[in-house]
Amino acid sequence: MILSEKTVKKINDKLSKYPKAKGMILPALTLAYKQLGYVDNEIYIEISEIINVPQLEIAEAASFYTMFPKKPRGKYLLQVCNNISCALLGADAMVDRLEEKLAIKRGETTDDGLFTLISVECLGSCCTAPMIQINDDFHENLTRQKLDELLEGLKNGK
Amino acid sequence: MAEAVKEKILAVATITCTIDGQQITVPKGTSVFYAARQIGIVIPAFCNHDKLKPVGACRMCYVEIEKMPKLQVSCATTATDGMVVSTNSQQVREGRKAVIEFTLINHPLDCPTCDKGGECDLQDLTFSHGYDDSRFGFNKMRFIEEEKRDTFDDLKIGPEIVLNRNRCILCYKCVRANKEAFGEYDIGAFERGDLTEINATPGGEVSNPFSGNLVEICPVGALTNSDWRYKIRVWLTKTVPSICNFSGSGTNITFYKEDHKNFVYRVTARCNDAIDDGWLSDITRYGYQIVNSESRLKTPLIKKGGKQVKASWDQALAVIKKHMGEIKDQSGGVCIGGLISPSLDNASLYSFSKLFRTIFKSNNIDFRGDYRYLPSVTDSPFTIAASQPFSIADIEKSDVIITFGTDLIREHHNEYLKIRRAVNFFEATAYSVNPYAVKTADIAKSEMVYSPGTDELVINGICLAAIEKKLVDSSAAAKLKPKISKLSLSELTKQTGLGKEQFKELAEAISSAKKITFIVGEIVARSLERDKICAALSNLNKLFGVQDKGQLAVLSRYANSKGAQKLGLSATPYEIVKAELKKIWGEYPDCQPRNTDSMINLMKKEEIKGFITVGTNPMRLYPDRGFASEGLEHVDFLVACDMFETETTELADVVLPLCSWAEYDGDYINLEGKVQTGKQAIKPKYEAKAAFEIMELIASQSGVKLFENEQSRNEEIEQLLSLNSVLPWPDDFLEIDYDKKSSRDDYPVPLFICDDPHHSGHLTEKSPSLLNFSDSAYVELSKGMAAKIGVADGEPVRVESPVGKIVVPAKISRVLNSDVAIIPRNFSSTQTTSLLMRKKRVDSVKLTRVEE
Ligand code: SF4
Ligand code: FES
Ligand code: FES
Repeated sequence: MILSEKTVKKINDKLSKYPKAKGMILPALTLAYKQLGYVDNEIYIEISEIINVPQLEIAEAASFYTMFPKKPRGKYLLQVCNNISCALLGADAMVDRLEEKLAIKRGETTDDGLFTLISVECLGSCCTAPMIQINDDFHENLTRQKLDELLEGLKNGK
Repeated sequence: MAEAVKEKILAVATITCTIDGQQITVPKGTSVFYAARQIGIVIPAFCNHDKLKPVGACRMCYVEIEKMPKLQVSCATTATDGMVVSTNSQQVREGRKAVIEFTLINHPLDCPTCDKGGECDLQDLTFSHGYDDSRFGFNKMRFIEEEKRDTFDDLKIGPEIVLNRNRCILCYKCVRANKEAFGEYDIGAFERGDLTEINATPGGEVSNPFSGNLVEICPVGALTNSDWRYKIRVWLTKTVPSICNFSGSGTNITFYKEDHKNFVYRVTARCNDAIDDGWLSDITRYGYQIVNSESRLKTPLIKKGGKQVKASWDQALAVIKKHMGEIKDQSGGVCIGGLISPSLDNASLYSFSKLFRTIFKSNNIDFRGDYRYLPSVTDSPFTIAASQPFSIADIEKSDVIITFGTDLIREHHNEYLKIRRAVNFFEATAYSVNPYAVKTADIAKSEMVYSPGTDELVINGICLAAIEKKLVDSSAAAKLKPKISKLSLSELTKQTGLGKEQFKELAEAISSAKKITFIVGEIVARSLERDKICAALSNLNKLFGVQDKGQLAVLSRYANSKGAQKLGLSATPYEIVKAELKKIWGEYPDCQPRNTDSMINLMKKEEIKGFITVGTNPMRLYPDRGFASEGLEHVDFLVACDMFETETTELADVVLPLCSWAEYDGDYINLEGKVQTGKQAIKPKYEAKAAFEIMELIASQSGVKLFENEQSRNEEIEQLLSLNSVLPWPDDFLEIDYDKKSSRDDYPVPLFICDDPHHSGHLTEKSPSLLNFSDSAYVELSKGMAAKIGVADGEPVRVESPVGKIVVPAKISRVLNSDVAIIPRNFSSTQTTSLLMRKKRVDSVKLTRVEE
């Protein structure tokens, strides 16, 4: 079992709240993701056994949502929006800057396991573009300087 | 509730709308798409499928509806009163063009190298509705998987399925059919947007018993099957309408053949709503390959000096004449017996019976080579139950469906799907009542697993529960009660392993049903106690009036089992059939009737000296291999007709090559009693002959003709078929005696021998495609059972019974949940039936792990 006892218990507890077990797919994936920071096929199989929904349905749902990383990722997930508003206001330059500073490409993780960088579609924060989401938090109205400061802060464990 | 939904769909209320200027009245709930079809307007579509729920994925079926601002998808728009629709306005035509242009944005346009060319919906609709150019000049998005790459980005996703994601137009038909119609979860749609892809479940392959359908319904060349691809272009083949020879339902099929090569290239569905909904099991789809097999028997063989050597038909017939003649003259025709396959056509079956009964004057014939010991009783409860009327179409009209003693996915694929449809589309409630957990359970409201060998007690339990709850007529209850209450309900609970609540649930379901389908299957039919179980069913039928509000029958398993019954192919035919035969022939042998079991017994006693098998292989299939082989080895003169060398032909003195059903026209009666014709697709291969010809040839050796001509033969058959062959149930309730279950602790695990979901009988192992799904025996065990003996999936297990021993790999089942073992009988490499004892009600075995 990759899922911890605690996660399994949480999944089981929630299960009864849903009239159909299928409804439990996303909550279960979220719980797994919270524990591990990613989900993958082994997790789908484990969830499938707990909630008794075919592995396929879980894999399909998980693959649809880019919010679930499919492999282990860095401590900090840097998601830079690259959709229209952000793009117009310089999102590409932000990603380039991060690639340069972290010495990785989009989709990669730094060797120290601290950062994973990806670019994503609209995060619904267009009026404060460009923006980045770091784990669960939004950082808006980005500038080069702001980005550098953010990065330094995280490196130093802030 | 169920009724409400059904009414909506089967519809009483109607609406009237106007489509392309024509008024049409349709049942409420009908989509615009189908309303249009009713007046002959075919709206182009990709994702719509007659037997699936609409999704509106492809947008091809656009129509213009007055008062609606935009084009609407007709497949997912319900027609309403007063609606005015146009299916071919300027706007619609442009809309379609745009849809095609969009659909083709990332499509590789590789028709010349695509196997679907010539029968591709996308190709056809692009020609009829699309542009001849595209405005999208950028690079197409391509799916490429480097390591697994075959040709043209092909990806093998199952034993027989090749996927090309670049061609996929995401109609989701494959995924929907798999989930909605088959209840299978091995193909899915992943990711989203332009990255969306169809693929096998991660870590798995698409290998469900209906997987071939996915290829057939794919509107483009995204799914193709290795069976057919790149062998021939579809326009070079001719089609022949026929029926399946591997099932009792007679699902309708189309053969694709080529005359110069005298070769069948594939089989596809030929949707017949009354029977099959256009879905084929893989057995039906790929089973035809046995016709083309190189390993077919090509010429007659005769035994010379202990070895079988090639011979001409004349030589072989001369040998038969000599030996059968000798036996007849010296010991009498009663020393000749025969066994024929119930998958053969009416003419063959009837000729066989006539040969034996009028020329050999023997009553030693049977068509059930795989049923254990049958007592020779005419019109026994089992025979009655098996003669009951049944309608496949009525399954989906039923609100309650009970499957009893049947593992449908191994016996009746077609009915398996029908029941799924009844539940998923028409809100029927299904109950699965079996001695082990079966695949239908996922759609069943309740699955009840009773302990093996207590079948009639379960039925008694249902009856007693109904009486206790006063769900049935009290005078009937009073009559039945004394006959079955030797065991009280709570004792029955103990014996069967079912709870009182479960008996009550079933009793309530049956009594409250408005229309019921009660299916009894092979687990009962093959049981030694089939008569006792069917006697209990007779009581149940009477008590609840099941047939007054629906159907109850033991389903016939093979392509022409029903025909065999109606034509009197058992040693003890129906009384009415026997009388009719006497009338037609002016004679009927008055010697003892001998069925398979007693014939084998007599072989051992050297009272049966000559034996003819036709298309059947008792050495493999008789549920007691030791017994069968001892008998057959004793026979002085054995003639075996088959398509292939089998364990039985190996013993034969004369072997005759038999035609497949694709090589001649033949009539078959399906489990509903419907006569259908299997049309000849190709000329007989090699020197093979149809069984009815062979019977005529054998008769001619005695200087007689079985029939004046084909017409007179058909008239005789007609005469028999016109009889009402539904036998009446006994007038009174029957006493069900009870014998205590004896289980031997040294062989604790009940064993069931059945068909692999990808095989049927002894012939399908000659189909290379079916072998790709499953090619050797295994023992299927529940997780718990496997853990008990300490084996993992695929590890060898020794399976021992009091009479035999085999070693096969374990297969951990996703379905089983009790301690039973299931082993397929379809592979010559494992002598499965050597574990069985013919007079045992439930065979049981000991399972041990094989130490490396
Ligand atoms: S593979 Fe074929 S059937 Fe499946 S979604 Fe794609 S086009 Fe439709
Ligand atoms: S475009 Fe970047 S948040 Fe919407
Ligand atoms: S057929 Fe209507 S949307 Fe595809």
